[in-house]
Amino acid sequence: MSLFKNVIRWKSALALTGGLLVTLLSSSGAYAADPLKIGFIYPSPVGDVGWAYELDRGRQAIEAEFGDKVETVVVENIPEGPDAARIMNQMAADGAKMIMIGSFGYMNDGLKLAKRNPDIKLIHASGYKLADNMGNFQTRNYESAYIAGMAAGYVTKSNTIGMVAAYAIPEVVGIINAFTMGAQATNADVTMKVVWLNSWFDPSKAQESARSLIAQQSDVIFSIYQDTPSVVTVAEEEGVYVVNTSSDMSKYAPTKLLASMQISWADHFIEQTKAVLDGTFKGTAFWGGMADGAVSMAGMSADLNPEQRAAVDAKVAEITAGSFHPFTGPIVDQDGKEMIAAGETISDGDLLGIDWLVKGVETKLPK
Amino acid sequence: MLDSLIFVLGGTLAAATPLIYAAMGELVVEKSGVLNLSIEGMMATGAATGFVVATMSGSTVAGFAAAAAASMLLSFVFALLALGFLANQVAAGLAVGVLGLGVSVMVGKNYEGTTISPMADVNLGWLSEIPLIGPTLFSQDIMVYAGIFSVILISWMLNRSKLGRIIRAVGESPEAATAIGYPVILVRGLAVLFGGAMAGIGGAHLTLSYTPLWAEGLVAGRGWIVVALVVFGTWRAPRIAAGAYLFGAVSLIELFVQGLGFEIPSQLLSAAPYIITIIVLAVISRNPRVVRLNHPASLGLPYLRTR
Repeated sequence: MSLFKNVIRWKSALALTGGLLVTLLSSSGAYAADPLKIGFIYPSPVGDVGWAYELDRGRQAIEAEFGDKVETVVVENIPEGPDAARIMNQMAADGAKMIMIGSFGYMNDGLKLAKRNPDIKLIHASGYKLADNMGNFQTRNYESAYIAGMAAGYVTKSNTIGMVAAYAIPEVVGIINAFTMGAQATNADVTMKVVWLNSWFDPSKAQESARSLIAQQSDVIFSIYQDTPSVVTVAEEEGVYVVNTSSDMSKYAPTKLLASMQISWADHFIEQTKAVLDGTFKGTAFWGGMADGAVSMAGMSADLNPEQRAAVDAKVAEITAGSFHPFTGPIVDQDGKEMIAAGETISDGDLLGIDWLVKGVETKLPK
Repeated sequence: MLDSLIFVLGGTLAAATPLIYAAMGELVVEKSGVLNLSIEGMMATGAATGFVVATMSGSTVAGFAAAAAASMLLSFVFALLALGFLANQVAAGLAVGVLGLGVSVMVGKNYEGTTISPMADVNLGWLSEIPLIGPTLFSQDIMVYAGIFSVILISWMLNRSKLGRIIRAVGESPEAATAIGYPVILVRGLAVLFGGAMAGIGGAHLTLSYTPLWAEGLVAGRGWIVVALVVFGTWRAPRIAAGAYLFGAVSLIELFVQGLGFEIPSQLLSAAPYIITIIVLAVISRNPRVVRLNHPASLGLPYLRTR
């Protein structure tokens, strides 16, 4: 029995010295000029294109900008839920003073962490909850969707455009509307077909959807938030034009990519990191568009003739300058009801919650 | 209209093929009295391994072979747990399934989001030239036809051959099979390995032909559909195959109908393949006597040789 007690005492003594040593080591480290440790959590693997890839390009931009002053740590492919909470708490415990949480569903865990640790700054992709030390960021993809729509309106011969989308969330609905209005601006006769996958991730189903739309005479396919080149490769194979979101996918459809709606976090990430380094960080809601360099066109097809190209570029310039907003009235919905009066522009709040489709889209919203 | 028919007919064969392979494998496994629920994981492992090996070697054949081998290895782990250590088959299957999903991520790590040129379609000369059925039925890749052939072969093997009788005996009553002198554990083990190889081939068909790219989670629940097909197809190869083709057809028609713009909620349409397949299989298999006849009596029960 006494032996047992001794063992226990030994163990606790060891643990105590161990703990002491760790404290000593870490506090001695604090005297050196520590780099700012920044954690990054992505919901999917980084890969070659897509959401996590673009977030990671933002991280690389931070490293390129700040060099030794920062140290970045990445954990990819983390499902939303307890795993994400565990990883971000671990990052905080390991000394990260800034954490980028890259998925909508990380929001509540991120907020809890922010409330508990006022000295840790968080930036959150696509959420809506804010704190003094937690900001969020999104892109105005409807701007690039309008431009891509213009290009689609020019090239379509069948006047039928097919879209492959996951779920009818406001973000996606906004993109579909902007794309449709862009296409109508260059081609009054276009109609839009949408296939809802009702699944966040199923590349096989996305490909079949694209094929079914092509079989129904669509000669431009719009791949919305498909993180893989699934739809893009089908379009190349079948010889129809394709538009995609997030990343430049021209290498997957060298002859048939019409345009990619590129997103870029570099400027925003650098700005936020600078704020953390300077001690001026304050959680804000960033909704970046073409004017902020967060949204741009990539891989524009050479098949547009010079006039068409000039018209497209002029519209990009107008949107960038803020003199044109795609959601400017008159805009009527599918049933012909006027949603935005002539000359009026939709508010950001309404656009963030948009739940109606514009006239010209054949498919109804799933409700 | 012709385009649409070609799309649905041609697509159905391709869409059902991964399911056919995995289901034929699982049928043999269940007929031997073992319930292996790890199909989703085994298909994922096969899909990733097949893709990586085919990309590296440039050979589709090597891809399929590697996929079969990798999934077979995984099913060996299951066999060890379920047959060797008599672990609960449901729990062991689920555990190995999760393991398989993890293995697929690891194997495919550096290939995430990359593409591969799909397998070549066969050209059957004048057969492939016939309007409508030429481009749909007679210009698929070779594995689609091999899949149909495997249904015939396995159906014959289980019902007509001596090997089939041994497998069924082991699945019905391992005690009786032991008494006659059949090595129950060995037969079951080989059946499990065969099932693993078939699931791997099915997975590889996904990444090498049907959706020629690799991305984590690409199997997207097809392994679970296979489990359901075997049960609702009442352990008969032709019915299981019919279920797989029906499932493939309805899931394509669903996408097609969405494009037509009918006012049917798309959520309902997305659920249609599952609902329709289950209802149809349940209705054609509603005779309880036939179901009891085909249901392997010792399915899922661990067997310990006592003497």
